Amino acid sequence: MAGIGFELRKLLNRDSYFSLVRAYAYAGLISSGPWVLSILGLLAIGLLPANADAPQHLMTQFQVSVTYLIMGTLIFTGLIQLAFTRWVSDRLFARETEPIMPNFAGVVLVTNLAGGLVAGVLAFTAFRGETVLYRAMMVCGFVVLSDVWVATIFLSGLKLYKTIVGLFAGGYSLSVVAALLLRGQGVEGLLIGYLGGQFFMLCGMVFIVLRTFPTRRLIAFDCFVPGAMFPSLIAVGVLYNLGIWADKIVFWLAPQTSSAIIGPLRASVIYDLPVFLAYLGIIPGMAVFLVRFETDFVEWYDKFYNAVRKGGSLQEISRMRDEMVFSIRSGLFDIVKMQTLSVLLMVVFAPAIFAKLSISGLYLPLFYVDAVAASLQVALLAVMNVFFYLDKRPQVLIITSMLTVLNFSLSIVTLHLGVAYYGYGFAVALLITLVVALLMLERKISNLEFDTFMLQ
Amino acid sequence: MSEPDRKPVADVGLLLEGTFPYVAGGVSSWVHQIITGFPELTFAICFLGSRRQDYGKMKYAIPANVVHLEEHYLNEKSSYTQIKSVAGDADMFGLNADLHDYFRNPQAQAVRGGEVLETIVGELNGRMDRSQFLYSQASWNYTTEQYRLRCTDPSFVDYFWTVRTMHAPIWMLAAIVESFPPVRCYHTVSTGYAGFLGALLKRRWNRNLVLSEHGIYTKERRIDLYAARWIADNRTLLQRNPTEAGYFRQMWIRFFEALGRMCYDASDQIIALYEANRLRQVQDGAEPGRTSNIPNGIDIVKFGALRSQRPADIPPIMCLIGRVVPIKDIKTYIRATRIIATRLPGFQAWIAGPEDESPAYAAECRALVASLGLQSNIRFLGFQKLTELLPQIGLVVLSSISEALPLVLLEGFAAGVPAVSTDVGSCQQLMNGLDPEDRALGASGTVVGIADPQAMAEAVLALLTDAPAWHAAARAGMARVERYYTQPLMFDRYRAVYASAVVPRQPPTAASVPAVCRKP
Repeated sequence: MAGIGFELRKLLNRDSYFSLVRAYAYAGLISSGPWVLSILGLLAIGLLPANADAPQHLMTQFQVSVTYLIMGTLIFTGLIQLAFTRWVSDRLFARETEPIMPNFAGVVLVTNLAGGLVAGVLAFTAFRGETVLYRAMMVCGFVVLSDVWVATIFLSGLKLYKTIVGLFAGGYSLSVVAALLLRGQGVEGLLIGYLGGQFFMLCGMVFIVLRTFPTRRLIAFDCFVPGAMFPSLIAVGVLYNLGIWADKIVFWLAPQTSSAIIGPLRASVIYDLPVFLAYLGIIPGMAVFLVRFETDFVEWYDKFYNAVRKGGSLQEISRMRDEMVFSIRSGLFDIVKMQTLSVLLMVVFAPAIFAKLSISGLYLPLFYVDAVAASLQVALLAVMNVFFYLDKRPQVLIITSMLTVLNFSLSIVTLHLGVAYYGYGFAVALLITLVVALLMLERKISNLEFDTFMLQ
Repeated sequence: MSEPDRKPVADVGLLLEGTFPYVAGGVSSWVHQIITGFPELTFAICFLGSRRQDYGKMKYAIPANVVHLEEHYLNEKSSYTQIKSVAGDADMFGLNADLHDYFRNPQAQAVRGGEVLETIVGELNGRMDRSQFLYSQASWNYTTEQYRLRCTDPSFVDYFWTVRTMHAPIWMLAAIVESFPPVRCYHTVSTGYAGFLGALLKRRWNRNLVLSEHGIYTKERRIDLYAARWIADNRTLLQRNPTEAGYFRQMWIRFFEALGRMCYDASDQIIALYEANRLRQVQDGAEPGRTSNIPNGIDIVKFGALRSQRPADIPPIMCLIGRVVPIKDIKTYIRATRIIATRLPGFQAWIAGPEDESPAYAAECRALVASLGLQSNIRFLGFQKLTELLPQIGLVVLSSISEALPLVLLEGFAAGVPAVSTDVGSCQQLMNGLDPEDRALGASGTVVGIADPQAMAEAVLALLTDAPAWHAAARAGMARVERYYTQPLMFDRYRAVYASAVVPRQPPTAASVPAVCRKP
């Protein structure tokens, strides 16, 4: 599969400053597109002119409901995301494309049944006080969003980034328009509108998948056979999503930083908005990550394993290893440089922008810390990506477990330290995890030839 | 456990590599003959093969005095699955470096090398076990260092796997040493892995080791290895020197030479089939005082009786009796047939031997027969009973590029059939005699150069078309085989060999234990 690296290299090879900018812009768009669009979509619906039919508190209820849906489904589908993607790429590597589509259907069915069951139970217990329509929409939302993540990760595994971004743009536009039209019906109306858009987006994804892998079998469950998927990847998928959301969960549950919004759902007015806005600041870093790691690193990675397999000399193998190490190092440096610049720009311009959007200036300090934390997350993502390429699953498991534990515990610590420290839990957890991950990478990669030859 | 605690289950532990009972051929028949020839002795057999699927059913019925038979396949993936990086025993790998220096130059390092070898071999199930070789950093360091220092082939992955494939059986053999039932002496019928196993067994259990070599294993291996396509050779056209074997071939050859030397050093009696081979063994490192010759013997009564079944005229039929494998050079035989068939109408050339060992080569031979238009002259008979075959033919022919002491020539002689053979192994000695007394019996056939179809054809024609010469050769053959190559003669000699081998050895004294071993 030519993949994204190929297209990026084509852009880079045109050898002009403009083509370089285009390559990075393109990479930024496809790497950050889905979640930027999600955040922007939610903000857009929230910023719809409030009127008598849809007062501000309904908007907040809607946003919090969807945020919980997104978090819940990301953690829930974390069970399957990486493990199933790996299963699919193994099939692709073995050139067995036939079982892919039926198994995708199988995964979707299992996700729907399990997700529907979890959401259904919650609807009848925790959400007992809410309207039937709201509860029905939340159950539907849980199922639809779960499917959206499964389909998204599946399409990213196929490197169909452009398609994903296109679908998200279309889906979220539809969500915003539908929510606008239905906002007269209260929070239920907004949810129906939002989910309608998401549902059409999902249909588009399924259509793409069907078109890519035509099949005669409707459904299969080969990937659920014990041993077909790596248990470590199942754990990593859950832990990574849990690790990323841990600080938010802590602040939502703490009485001093949160308030009840709807049913059992709580939100933290002071914590949430800065975090989500900060994520918009990592678009440049994500672009660099994609360009450096999908072109330079993958190139040397391929050359290294080709040298190993196709009879290169030991010197050649070592040289490829060194080049690979160099590409990792310079890629990480570029991310750091780019994110430093991004954070500086945010520091300079945030006060003005916050004022323009009539967001309180009190959010600013937390926003800065979160901007740094999100930047560290890009670097961590890059290191994890290298581990995935080298197929070091135990290391990724350690890293994600560490992130989860640290983010939970340090966020709780900052909660007790006081407002000035909010956000530092998340940032320090990421910093420690990143340093440990880099040390592990250092050790693994210095032994790479030994591992590759002796321990296979 | 020491040897006195173990009650022997058999008199002789036979170590057989790629032969009896799974492969038909000269050595296998000989093994069968020895086992059945000593009904008063019991045998325990350890068969070493490459992979189970390379062998079919047993080609021989197992005689009643074989009390134990076990099979091991050296090239099969072991079930040893626990892959875990270990640091490696630095001391052992230091000794390992010395050991390989010794292998490279045995004369210069003889004393130290022997001690080091003794130490490492003693630790094959201990400080130098399989995981040390497969998964240790020290092993990796030594392998990469050697690659940098010596390997002339660029491909590291091929070097790495050549080293692994080559050495992996050593630990399998080390495990066999512990599990093989106790016997009163060991008898290996080749050097190579079986011979090395013999050396290990002798060292571990302090029993005598007898080595009988039919061919010279390392020499035969060398021929196989030069022809083997599975050995990588990554030199480019410009780097390649056709007179020099690729580095991996050289590695394999040196490896088997080292195994051979260890077997010679450990063997108490080294028995060759004929003088040329004994000299070769001495040259390869065998101590002359332990070497001797015991030629093969055949059942003179059984084959002598066939003379009466012969037709009055000489049948215009020659027969190659042997497996259809490259070493027998069947293609030269087929080309010679082409020449003879043109000049001798009604001439038949038969090939009596199994074709399953090297199906690709057999197919090539059949294709050659077809392309030379010899379908009506050449018959592939498969495995044949010699007592039925020999009375029908006029000549036994061997076109091999390597032979030891081919029994089929002797059996042919006994049945009154002269022979034409390439000048390999003992053929010169069998045809023309060794000492003056033997020579006086006359020529029992003709010896020609290898890979020379023209010379072979001329020799066959000369015998088949000249009745007095044929009858003279037949008479000389009958006389020679009766005087020098009968079974009773051979059994008497081996009886003496076994009699001295089964005697328990003196336990090693403290003084004879090499200094290296006494280190804590």
